Amino acid sequence: MFFVIYLLRELRRRMRQAVFISLGLAVGVGLVITVVAASAGVKKAQSAVLQGLYGVGTDVTVTGAAPGPPKTGSRPTSGSGQSLQVGPGGARICTNGKCENAAGQTIDNLISQYSAIGASSVAKVARLHDVAAAAGGLDLTDTQITIAKNFGQPNSPLPQPNSFSVDGVDLGRSSLGPLSSGTIASGHTFTAADADSDVAVVDSGYAKANKLKAGSVLTVDKVKFTVIGIVTQPQGSSQPDVYIPLARAQAIATDGPTGSLKNKVNTIYVTAASAADIAVVQKQIRTLLPADTVTTASSLASEVTGSLSSTAKLANDLGKWLSVLVLIAAFAVASLLMMAAVSRRVREFGTLKAIGWRSRRIVAQVMGESVAMGIVGAAVGVGLGFAGAELITKIAPKLSATVPTATGLHEQTAGGPGGPQSINPTINHTLQVPMHASVSPGVIVLAVVLAVAGGLLAGAFGSWRIGQLRPARALARVE
Amino acid sequence: MYKLTGVNKIYRKGRRTVPAVRDLDLAIEDGEWLAVQGRTGHGKTTLLQILGGLDRPTSGIVEFDGQDLARLRENQVTRVRAVSIGFIFQTFNLVPTLSAAENVEAALIPLRAGLAERRRRVAAALESVGLGDRARHLPSELSGGQQQRVAIARALVKRPKVLLADEPTGNLDEGTRDEIIGLLAQLWHDLGLTLVLVTHDSSLARQAQRVGVMSKGRLTIRQDTRRTPEPST
Repeated sequence: MFFVIYLLRELRRRMRQAVFISLGLAVGVGLVITVVAASAGVKKAQSAVLQGLYGVGTDVTVTGAAPGPPKTGSRPTSGSGQSLQVGPGGARICTNGKCENAAGQTIDNLISQYSAIGASSVAKVARLHDVAAAAGGLDLTDTQITIAKNFGQPNSPLPQPNSFSVDGVDLGRSSLGPLSSGTIASGHTFTAADADSDVAVVDSGYAKANKLKAGSVLTVDKVKFTVIGIVTQPQGSSQPDVYIPLARAQAIATDGPTGSLKNKVNTIYVTAASAADIAVVQKQIRTLLPADTVTTASSLASEVTGSLSSTAKLANDLGKWLSVLVLIAAFAVASLLMMAAVSRRVREFGTLKAIGWRSRRIVAQVMGESVAMGIVGAAVGVGLGFAGAELITKIAPKLSATVPTATGLHEQTAGGPGGPQSINPTINHTLQVPMHASVSPGVIVLAVVLAVAGGLLAGAFGSWRIGQLRPARALARVE
Repeated sequence: MYKLTGVNKIYRKGRRTVPAVRDLDLAIEDGEWLAVQGRTGHGKTTLLQILGGLDRPTSGIVEFDGQDLARLRENQVTRVRAVSIGFIFQTFNLVPTLSAAENVEAALIPLRAGLAERRRRVAAALESVGLGDRARHLPSELSGGQQQRVAIARALVKRPKVLLADEPTGNLDEGTRDEIIGLLAQLWHDLGLTLVLVTHDSSLARQAQRVGVMSKGRLTIRQDTRRTPEPST
């Protein structure tokens, strides 16, 4: 009781200083909360993007290697694969081995973005010890390229692909893969009976842009598909535009310009038994499928560019160091002010020692005062942090995330002095991701701990002098 | 009560040494009133601080109730101060943010008395110095004389064996000074305290049983009105 009365009276006497110290700690703590909240917002945005690429519940994705250029003289075994060959005589379109002048023509290909993986590999992955589930899929791109009439001539521009992405969905394991993260806005999703039907579920954004709705007809690689449902994916995710049954995708798409995809997939979506097993699963799959690419969410994140990744770096690097610096400055100022306050009260403490107060009781009194200032700083800091997070959410522009996606096409040019050159064009999907800076309970606890630690540190510096204080000298101090 | 033997206190200022107390031998009896006079800087306050365990002598023995304050650990000396020694200072040294009652109560905190016990003793102590109606006043709301009364109440509330007073009337006007002198004399008489008082004030010193004068660190007893013990038959 006496402790509290004395503490409160002292804080009231040094109100201005107490407010200054508390505010200093509050600003430091508020900045930490704001930066952590912003960083959490960026991470959420990142995970939304990655979730879009993966689908809900997917921990590891296996993709075939990026396809190489076609072998000379190779012929397609099935499918409608077309390739574009550019030589001194101009551009030629080759379909099933038959080539013709490409000038003014349009190529329409549904091509795998990655090399094929045997469907049996999906079962092998599913049997791995730490794997909970695995599903195969075909990540495809339907690309249309219109060849300019003067293509192949010196200084003529490369043709620009116009494409949409197509996902072959394993209807037996639809809880994995990109479609799993969406919600059906109209129509319905696939049923097991749709496995061999020409039906499609279309992303709401693509449907809107192309005026598609349930019942509309959509052409994929010259095959007409009936739209049975419109799916809405989480905001900021990079989702396929069109979903079709895996069996149909395997039948009509090609592996590169020539190969068949029958009984093949190019992506395996894997759920680990637990989050702790992800690294082990990644290792096991790498051993099982050494030629293929095994990615986790963290490795995929490094491929995302745009303002999202710059903001993530900013929040992680500059934001972190800025808040650390402000905290250090706040701690230093609080410590200096506490030392100055103790210096001014030397005679008071000397008197207390003279009447029998132990040093540790006086230290506890001073520490109590500084911790009280820390608690006030924490409370105000949490408020400032919430305000800062709210401000960031309100004023921050949408973040853009650019995800490179292979088209699966190969363009071979006659080239210059180095001979023929192979080009694997990629399409960059740019997404707009809103940023919601959110303050978690953990951050609030961190803030309180930081502010109280700041108060304790300041009190410790002040108290150090009290421990050294000889009562006779303290009483001799003229104030 | 006190027995000081060969006490020296030397302060060092750089290479210079300043002897504040030299070869002091002194015995103070239970219930005695000793006044110490002398010019400024001749060691009066240093002697009082050594008696109160606020400072340690450079050499010598400071025996208080059979224990050498010079050799006790800091915690033990603090305990002696908390239980047995009351201090009164020239500048009152009240905590400005605490009320009169709380300032007095502060002296009971080290004794770990319960709240009710503390309140009872504080009220009695303030009553004994005539400030029963000023308990809630802050020091800034009290006159100099009243502040010194609060300081006296703070010194006495723990019922000490010894009261050490350093210029208790030094900051008071003449009328107030007489009040405080009267109060100290009465308390000494009523409570049977041992009172050691450092003062420039001759009218105050004259009230003491013994008067010593400190000069260049040496104490000379000039007046001793104690009753000589009856020879045993």
